[in-house]
Amino acid sequence: MAAAPGGGGSGPAAGEPLLQRHDSGQGSPEPPAHGKPQPGFLSSLFTRDRSCPLMLLKTLETNPYVKLLLDAMKHSGCAVNEGRHFSCEDCDGNVSGGFDASTSQVVLCQNNIRSQAHMSRVVTHELIHAFDHCRAHVHWFTDVRHLACSEIRAASLSGDCSLVNEIFRLHFRLKRHHQTCVRDRAVLSILAVRNISREEAQKAVDDVFESCFNDREPFGRIPHTKMYAQYAHRDFQSRHRYYSNI
Amino acid sequence: MAVAGSWQPPRPCEVYRAEWELCRSVRHMLHHYYVHGERPDCRQWLRDLASCHEWEESRSPEAQRSLCESEQARVQAAQKHTLVWALRQGPPADWNLPLPQKDK
Repeated sequence: MAAAPGGGGSGPAAGEPLLQRHDSGQGSPEPPAHGKPQPGFLSSLFTRDRSCPLMLLKTLETNPYVKLLLDAMKHSGCAVNEGRHFSCEDCDGNVSGGFDASTSQVVLCQNNIRSQAHMSRVVTHELIHAFDHCRAHVHWFTDVRHLACSEIRAASLSGDCSLVNEIFRLHFRLKRHHQTCVRDRAVLSILAVRNISREEAQKAVDDVFESCFNDREPFGRIPHTKMYAQYAHRDFQSRHRYYSNI
Repeated sequence: MAVAGSWQPPRPCEVYRAEWELCRSVRHMLHHYYVHGERPDCRQWLRDLASCHEWEESRSPEAQRSLCESEQARVQAAQKHTLVWALRQGPPADWNLPLPQKDK
């Protein structure tokens, strides 16, 4: 499963254990790792009126990143049904969610998603994986370069590596730092779901970075903010006119 | 390109203006520097906006050619990298299959 490292805030440090969900069986089957929920008292107060299903619904209905992804997936033959393709679950570790290609389902770790904004970012991240699964033959379990490619795209296009989120993580570099963040978070995501060395994960990211970082589908650009996502959605909806007149 | 007589600019002129204004905004300059380490070049959006207006006013063939070339260049720039994976001809067959029953 492709995973989203937890946090728009501090985020997981390198090497922290992350959730691994039941494998498809193409590789070595892994036992489910759903532990008992252990929410802190304060966090339960913070999220008690913001249940996972309610936050998910709001994201699906209002977030411009997600609305574009849903339209693009529908156009590719993968219409998304909330009840079928999303699951709110309690997860071990610090991971926020994942996409299970074996069941075509996005898992949302309700015990680790702290806010509406975080929910929107996790859903965007995982839908990018779902979009890649829908439009391409992604060898999730047999080619780490394919996994790396989707993680690069998800880190870059979901807002994971936005300037604001990196500042929250106390990363204050500016010039070209987005690319550094994308590489680092892609490696973290790979290590969360694959039993390989950091060097192997890094090599896979380096091998495919140029191609995958520049693959901006379905946005056509890096959506730095909701405005960029709205412009991208506008362009997607007008694509017939566009391609008919160039 | 569309049949002569039915052609229209690939984007409405107000979209070219919106893209140009976004491109030259301070916020976009910051985002672009954060990603690419340099300032953005917004001149092509301004040229396209001018061509779009010229087309609307006079149906200029030169304006049409300029817009087509500009947008074709954008498409080619977006597609110049070889994809890592093979694209599907259709969606995954199991996209909407029922979820497997979980063992109790």
